[in-house]
Amino acid sequence: MTDPQTANGGKPMIVLENVDKFFGTFQALDDISLTVAKKEVVVVIGPSGSGKSTLIRCINRLEKHDAGRVVVDGVELTDDIRNIHEVRMETGMVFQQFNLFPHLSVLDNVTLAPREVRHMAKAEAEELGMKMLARVRIPEQARKFPGQLSGGQQQRVAIARSLAMQPKMMLFDEPTSALDPEMIKEVLEVMEELAASGMTMIVISHEMGFARAVADRIIFMADGQIVEVGPPEHFFTNPTEERTKTFLSQIL
Amino acid sequence: MTTTASRPVAVRWVKKNLFSTPLNVFLTVVLGAAIVYLAYLVIRFLVTSNFEILRVNLALFMVGSFPRAQLWRVVVALLLLAIMAGLAGGMLKAAARERSKDAGIRLAEVRGSRAVGSWLRRFWPLGLLVIAALALTRTLTPTLVAIAVVGLLVASRWLGAHLGPIPRRVGWIVVVLLPLAAYWILSASGLGWDDWGGFMLNIFLTIAGILFAFPIGVALALGRRSTLPVVRAFSIGYIELIRGVPLITLLLMAVFALGFFLPRDLRPGSVTRVLIVITAFEAAYIAEVVRGGLQSVPRGQSEAAQSLGLPALKITRLIVLPQALRATIPAMVGQFISLFKDTTLVAIVGLGDILAASSFANAQPAFNAQGLARITLPFVALAFWAGSFAMSREAGRLERRLGIGER
Repeated sequence: MTDPQTANGGKPMIVLENVDKFFGTFQALDDISLTVAKKEVVVVIGPSGSGKSTLIRCINRLEKHDAGRVVVDGVELTDDIRNIHEVRMETGMVFQQFNLFPHLSVLDNVTLAPREVRHMAKAEAEELGMKMLARVRIPEQARKFPGQLSGGQQQRVAIARSLAMQPKMMLFDEPTSALDPEMIKEVLEVMEELAASGMTMIVISHEMGFARAVADRIIFMADGQIVEVGPPEHFFTNPTEERTKTFLSQIL
Repeated sequence: MTTTASRPVAVRWVKKNLFSTPLNVFLTVVLGAAIVYLAYLVIRFLVTSNFEILRVNLALFMVGSFPRAQLWRVVVALLLLAIMAGLAGGMLKAAARERSKDAGIRLAEVRGSRAVGSWLRRFWPLGLLVIAALALTRTLTPTLVAIAVVGLLVASRWLGAHLGPIPRRVGWIVVVLLPLAAYWILSASGLGWDDWGGFMLNIFLTIAGILFAFPIGVALALGRRSTLPVVRAFSIGYIELIRGVPLITLLLMAVFALGFFLPRDLRPGSVTRVLIVITAFEAAYIAEVVRGGLQSVPRGQSEAAQSLGLPALKITRLIVLPQALRATIPAMVGQFISLFKDTTLVAIVGLGDILAASSFANAQPAFNAQGLARITLPFVALAFWAGSFAMSREAGRLERRLGIGER
């Protein structure tokens, strides 16, 4: 399969074709077509209510799309529960509100899915979990509970929790929007390293410094549509669409 | 030399808290007088009353018509349950200690005389009931039994707190087996629970009712949120039907009306019927309490679990229910306390619980028509107050303990 939108020429990891999504009568996604290549990093920007979250939530079926096709690593998302399960095992997701499990220790948060989904033995899962916590630079917090950590630490645990499933791609839904300013950097650094390691990533974020540093492409969305797509320098130098210019002038 | 600072602390405290403004002075005097008068009434009641009716009938109040020659079975069952409670308490404490050590929280260790003090603060309502009951006994045996129970509690708690992680697993098996052994000893005389009575029956109905109703209630709460229409309709129908009928009506139906519908051989004993009704009734209320807890768990929790690939059943079992049940502790304990007190309704359908014992005692020739309910009913009230208050306090402790490391 070849696709002109595949920026780095690799094989497609995520393919959306003419995807529509409705909430009641409100159309959240309007004829979205997008192909993300392996190892590509895509940053999605756009005003709130533009459908950014809905877009990535359709990729791991937290939302069910109403029309079009969603194909993730060769698996098409249908009502077939096995396909959904397969895609979710390969797709990590990081949420704005962290969504750590407050009743489990940090290490248990990270090892839960490997143990319960991949049926890994406890010792093996904990070794893997500690490796992931080391990767996000908080192995010393393993035995604490999420409530004892700062926001930045919690979000890094959430990243480690997703990585423990050894996913092929990661979806980030505004990962730094709920953080105090001094904690944003530590999370972005972890994400930059992840991008450098070759992870396929879709990141909803208005951290334009981060986008400039790691994004292969930036997508600007408004009213459920993809308005403009291009490499970061395109957005920073000469965006073509009027709506893009207005939006960028508001956030930059 | 009479500056404020040099006055004793107590005097300053009284001045500041009781006599600071004219209104406070007034309230202190009026309420103080009321309290003194109440205390006078209680003391007069205790000093001038003749507690013979309780002394003669203490066994009736405690175990109903359980054969007096078989009372040793009750004693052995009590001792076994004391070991169970002590062991479980100790092991929970050890586990909590290890968890909080891992999480870097230091739990305050209370030792020596301060430990005794904290135990007294924790269990004084139950202690008061035990002392009141022992004061009414005519032989030394019950006191020795009580001392043995407390001794076993302390010893098995110490043992439980000092077990390593693997012996602890064995310990939990023992904790499950001990009540079964206690039941077996009580019933091996050929006396199943249908022959039980007195306060023992109230306690049994409460504990068995909770144990049976809790899983059914959780299932109904989950059923009410199910996406399967049949399951949801059944759960809603059941909950709303049961909640629409008074417990006493259901009890009366089970005991007096059920006989017409069942063949003679299949009619269960009265206690069994009552237990089934209590279970069915409590399950509906517990379901509503659990539903509230389920709604308190944010959507993001199950979304995060879904995104990790966890299947729906595991999300419910590992993520949603543990958080939901924690949130329901206060309401749940309220429900258990009201179940405990509602067990006295079985007296109306002819079972010999502690409230019925009060009526029986007052009908005896020696005590008939002397208005001695003023002696027996306060005793019944003391028994329920001690149990309810203890439950409420333990729930408070549980809430605080589970609060460790929470958001």
